[in-house]
Amino acid sequence: MNKPMVGMIAGAVLGAIDGGTAWFVPAVRSEMEGILMWSSVKGMLVGIICGLIARKVHSTAAGLAAGAGFGLLFAYLVAMMPEPDGTHYYLQIMVPGFVLGALIGFLTQKMGTAPEKA
Amino acid sequence: MSFLPDRALDHLRDVTETPDFSDTRYQVEEEIGRGGMGVVYRAWDAQLERRVAVKVMNAGYAINREAKLLAQLEHPGIAPVYDAGSLPDGRCYYAMRLIQGRRLDEFLRAEPALPPRLRLFEKICEAVAFAHNRGVIHCDLKPQNIMVGEFGEVFVVDWGVARAVDGATAPAAGTPPYMAPEQSAGSADARSDVFALGRILRDLMPDPPPRPLAAIAGKASAQEPAARFGDVQQLAADVGRYLDGQPVAAYRDTVPERLARFWRQNQVLLLLLGTYLAVKLFLYFLAPALK
Amino acid sequence: MPYDSDTAMGGPHRPFPTTRHSLIVSAAGTGTLAAEALEAIAAVYWKAAYKHVRIQWRRSNEEAKDLVQGFFAALIEQQILAGFDPSKARFRTYLKGCLDHFVMKQDEHANRLKRGGGATILYDFEAAEREIAGTPSVEDVFLREWQRQMFALGLEDLRAYCESTGKTVQYAIFAHYDLAEDERPGYAALAARHGIPVTSVTNYLAWARRELRRLVLLRLSSVTSGDPECQAEQRVLFGK
Repeated sequence: MNKPMVGMIAGAVLGAIDGGTAWFVPAVRSEMEGILMWSSVKGMLVGIICGLIARKVHSTAAGLAAGAGFGLLFAYLVAMMPEPDGTHYYLQIMVPGFVLGALIGFLTQKMGTAPEKA
Repeated sequence: MSFLPDRALDHLRDVTETPDFSDTRYQVEEEIGRGGMGVVYRAWDAQLERRVAVKVMNAGYAINREAKLLAQLEHPGIAPVYDAGSLPDGRCYYAMRLIQGRRLDEFLRAEPALPPRLRLFEKICEAVAFAHNRGVIHCDLKPQNIMVGEFGEVFVVDWGVARAVDGATAPAAGTPPYMAPEQSAGSADARSDVFALGRILRDLMPDPPPRPLAAIAGKASAQEPAARFGDVQQLAADVGRYLDGQPVAAYRDTVPERLARFWRQNQVLLLLLGTYLAVKLFLYFLAPALK
Repeated sequence: MPYDSDTAMGGPHRPFPTTRHSLIVSAAGTGTLAAEALEAIAAVYWKAAYKHVRIQWRRSNEEAKDLVQGFFAALIEQQILAGFDPSKARFRTYLKGCLDHFVMKQDEHANRLKRGGGATILYDFEAAEREIAGTPSVEDVFLREWQRQMFALGLEDLRAYCESTGKTVQYAIFAHYDLAEDERPGYAALAARHGIPVTSVTNYLAWARRELRRLVLLRLSSVTSGDPECQAEQRVLFGK
């Protein structure tokens, strides 16, 4: 399995899990479908980008940094969307998004096959 | 009979021992080693203009058995034989590559780190396994018979008591404590070399040794041949697994050791997961305060 | 160096051993053959035994003489050599052990020592005593004296061989160079002295040293039990 594919799958799964933890916040429980979807999409996008980077750059530190960076960025874009009552959950979305992004970046470095050098 | 003074005696001992290479292309420079079967000299090959090692066998060895045996073993870890012949006094000799380096026991005094020592040990095993594959067992493996080159190359030397794996019973040969018990009885096979390698592995280990490594060395140097590793490759493979942080065949990890290995091999992953959980819990409990 | 026909191999009364037959086997038996074999063994070991008793056991020269002669007599009478097992020890080590045991037993019983025993062994205790005076103490007298006696006998054999084969010039050059007590003469000086080319000096020396080695090894093979012991003793005899 190639690295972008690994990133996409890992990102989708971890994103879904991350979104699922929102169930413990009663205030947003009603929005679970949307949260799960955007969280999974966010994770998939981070995973694909990290996978593409991992094809070229073989460095755990680079994978962690790229994953954390893109995880934070996409988490910000999701957090920008307000809840129906106008509340933003920047901290609750961006901090876990940052850590999860780093995790996705790490997994794309360690797993999957990179293309052979010419 | 008049008295032979010490000076004269030592001189005669020296001149009668020093080989006469005047009819050959070699010019002896100095003695560099002395083994059970002969003496090794550094010499100059005037024909090819290079330095070589020349081993002169003790009197009584009519056939250059060691040279013939070594000539069959072409491996980076075994010094190649260049030439063989007889001296005017009847002693056999053979010329081989001059190894620039240190004996393993000298190397160990200077190299304290365990991983390089174990990688060196793997190279020793490669050379010995090659010989076994060619049907030859060394029978006298010990740190003094292993040379480490300037660039970390390994050479197994002094094959003077080596013999065929399926050879007939032979006179007891070897050096305690590296000599397997069955060698004293005159029977030796590939597992006798495994025994010696186990003892050498013990020499490489720090004190106290890591338990898996001690178990590998213990299994290799078990008194009963059947209790040892079946061959040198299995021994080397287990040492390789230890170097890679994998479980080894000779040792069953305890639960704490398994957990410790899991932690060592997955530190980053476990730290990231732990951080994620901590963040989630932190935010969950602090959520009301953040509003 | 005076030629001693009684202790030199190839002397007028004893055939030169051309095969590697160990004298130990013969000496362990009885009769004339055993006595002759024992004489040959004693020729190699008597001086080492004497100096060992004098230096290591700190006996007076008279006591040492009695002990050494009594020991070699006992070797014949009590057939001590029949107990030698080559798989357990080298002959030299065994003989030294027997000598030590003999000295201890004499201390215990304070018996009057017998001499003779049917063998004719040529001792020169006065010469050995003079040698002790001039020799620095060594850790293992027995070993050192054994080495010395092996080469001394080898030299005698070489000299006899050269005389019998007409190679007196070769021996003379060897003696002048390798047996020189002080500074060794140059090859050119030796060549001029004997009226031969310098290259011949090199060749003669090489030949004489090879022959000496061969003769010493022949003696060694006669007082060792077989190839393995002979190989091991070679290392001790020639090694550093």
